[in-house]
Amino acid sequence: MTESSTPDKIQHVSRLSEVTLQVGVMFGVLTAVVMVTGWYDPNFFSAFSIRSVLRDTAIWSLFALGQAVVIISGGIDLSVGSLVCFLGVLTVVFSQSDLALPFPLVMLLIMLIAASIGVFHGLLICKLDLQPFLVTLCSLLTFRGLARVITQDRTMSFNPAELPILRELGAGIWWGIPVPVFVLVGVLVPLGLFMHFTVSGRYLFAIGSNIEAARFSGVRVNLLRTCAYALCSILAALAAILEAGDVGSIPPSSAGLAYEMYGITGAVLGGCALRGGQGSLIGVVLGMGILRVIKSSIVFLGINTYWTFAVTGIVLLAAVIIDSTIRRRRANK
Amino acid sequence: MAESSPLLQINSISKRFSAVQALDDVSLNLDAGEVVGLVGENGAGKSTLMRILAGIIPADQGSILVDSQPWYQTGVRQAMQLGISLIHQELNLAENLSVAENIFLGRQPHRGPKWLPVTNRRKMDELAVAVMDQVNLRISPRVLVSSLSIAQRQLVEIAKALSTDARILILDEPTSSLSMNEAGRLMALITRLRDEGVAILYVSHHLHEIVRLANRVVVLRDGQHVGTLNKEDISAKKMISLMVGRNVEQFYHASGHSNSTATAALEVRDYQQSRASQVINFKIQPGEIVGFAGLVGAGRTQLAHGLLGIERRWKGKVLVDGKEVHVNNPVSAIKAGLALVPEDRQRHGLLLSKSLLFNICLTVLGKLATSGWRKRKAEAGLAASMIRDLDIRTADSEQHVQTLSGGNQQKVVLAKWLATKPKVLVLDEPTRGIDIGAKSEIYRLITTLAAEGVAVMMISSEMEEIVGISDRVIVMRDGMIAGELDRAEIHEKTVLALALGATQSQNEDPS
Repeated sequence: MTESSTPDKIQHVSRLSEVTLQVGVMFGVLTAVVMVTGWYDPNFFSAFSIRSVLRDTAIWSLFALGQAVVIISGGIDLSVGSLVCFLGVLTVVFSQSDLALPFPLVMLLIMLIAASIGVFHGLLICKLDLQPFLVTLCSLLTFRGLARVITQDRTMSFNPAELPILRELGAGIWWGIPVPVFVLVGVLVPLGLFMHFTVSGRYLFAIGSNIEAARFSGVRVNLLRTCAYALCSILAALAAILEAGDVGSIPPSSAGLAYEMYGITGAVLGGCALRGGQGSLIGVVLGMGILRVIKSSIVFLGINTYWTFAVTGIVLLAAVIIDSTIRRRRANK
Repeated sequence: MAESSPLLQINSISKRFSAVQALDDVSLNLDAGEVVGLVGENGAGKSTLMRILAGIIPADQGSILVDSQPWYQTGVRQAMQLGISLIHQELNLAENLSVAENIFLGRQPHRGPKWLPVTNRRKMDELAVAVMDQVNLRISPRVLVSSLSIAQRQLVEIAKALSTDARILILDEPTSSLSMNEAGRLMALITRLRDEGVAILYVSHHLHEIVRLANRVVVLRDGQHVGTLNKEDISAKKMISLMVGRNVEQFYHASGHSNSTATAALEVRDYQQSRASQVINFKIQPGEIVGFAGLVGAGRTQLAHGLLGIERRWKGKVLVDGKEVHVNNPVSAIKAGLALVPEDRQRHGLLLSKSLLFNICLTVLGKLATSGWRKRKAEAGLAASMIRDLDIRTADSEQHVQTLSGGNQQKVVLAKWLATKPKVLVLDEPTRGIDIGAKSEIYRLITTLAAEGVAVMMISSEMEEIVGISDRVIVMRDGMIAGELDRAEIHEKTVLALALGATQSQNEDPS
């Protein structure tokens, strides 16, 4: 009423968004953990150590990115860990034994199976209006169980010489950098472009912010949500293949165990709000980096590895508290 | 009214939130047995004052006296003990508990040993029925609140306040979600409570209610007490000019457009919402504003949702510009040239945590893009022109819409739908909960749009706007069209008579 400030030109005020802020904080935490560990034991900076951190971070980031897309759209996918195990088992089964399918065909099959599992999740959630938490919790149990049934609970291993492509994908090194890092970049760049520069990506943010308002605005809500779950499962499949190639064996009772929790943690550290509508893919990769570096740090700092989970939990809590404190300060300013 | 010492005395209260002076030296007295109206535009400081009185936030300066005893603002519980009860606009009830449990939440009568108290349900129900009788709420005390209508929930809140022996009742926009006859009943209840000696501070944007109820009106503007009107001086016109700080010459603008020779912009034929519901037929000409009046629950919102493909419908033809369109979801509705500004803008209209730009462009993202890739420049241009054309008060297009006032939020919703260049604009309660200044701007927008040839279907429960800006009024009752009124026949009385039914029989709550 008092003044009518009509902005004639669009003003691009450089305002730090909450997400950017959180990414910054996570980057700081990551650097701090790396520095402290490296200062304590310089071996942390050895090529071997760095490579193994990079490799695991890349593989974990793949399924965490899928999780992030689902969380941004306002959902959650708890089935990731079991899918990594189930699809890893299938990869070995299809490639070996009586089937012995050619590897490209195996990959295609695995991706198709993963996509149909994701679509199935999406349909149950959208059409039957079930809660994502419950639907994917059921899958968490089902696919872990199926993996154990198929294998009779025996660890599935393969001879690297017979499956050179699989081995190369998971454990190979190009120009000194682990191959999974290239795969991650190959996923991260197009996915980032998709989320921020396409209409559908923008719609996913809209759905996560307010699904009803998005529906009223002519967004094909159900189609897009289903795609998000499909994408999440496909990325879990990719992670499963790389993990199988890296480790060389898959114990059905423990492979991929708690990965859904890693994925969710990474996504949240990376700025995804669990209520949806917010998040950064780069942040997710940084978040996974933190998780993985902590795991190494515990070894290098000479702490008993029993401590891994406890230390991870405490560091995460600290990170979240720092972040929310900064945020509150900003809000009060 | 000239008592010795008032029940509640507020002396020179001030409150500052960082840069904003929310209240500046405000004084106010409230006596037992009187209703004082508190009015002001959004942001004038009404809610700050209410929250201070209810003990939710402390005042920076000034004093509050209850029964001539100074009260040092120690919290909500203390406010309750002093007999002050605030009933929020957004009701605060636990939906999954029963009516009686809600009324006595936190102070249930109990029995058994002190270390293991057990709720005495029978006693609680008896006590609940006693206070429910006081507010004319005749339902079982064991009914879950989730199954009650909004009007009934409101009564539960008031009963809850009465059960704490409230002597000072603060009502914040109590009728904002009620239909006309529910609001009427609530006002009768307030009158009765007043006569029984309760002091009532009544906050509302509905000025006619204030005119009807208040013994005195206090007007706030920008945190300052700008005027008090006594009973004989209270009129909507005076309140408005005090609130806005200037004389509002023309509040409503009737467009006077309607050219009945042209093809109808919207024609609805043999429309049935469900198998059992009544057949609906109507037309809206280009440039015509048709008000849809009726009680809450008369089926107007359902009709709008059916037309826009948000809810399934049973059968019926919808023609836009004389051509039949098949609308079965919002996507096809937008294609057909229909747009809906929904009733609940926060739930159905906006992405609150997103920017103006995001919200304004949401409906046309696909249109602005080339083969799925967003065109950021086009989006920014659209947002900028909408912000300018609709005069949305914002720092820039990146501001989150949740930080905007209600009126500006509503303008954002209008902007996102105008971006689709609709032929037919359906407005569902377009000015609910927004201040007078923004209201008149929205009316001006609606009439401008109509002048540009957009057909407007305006659902509203606010009699003033139905009477004020409609070229024609369609009154709905129980899911059917009860009658149609031309410009000359539109009066509050005729509309109300149709809405209530010719016999004026007031049945139970339509819910």
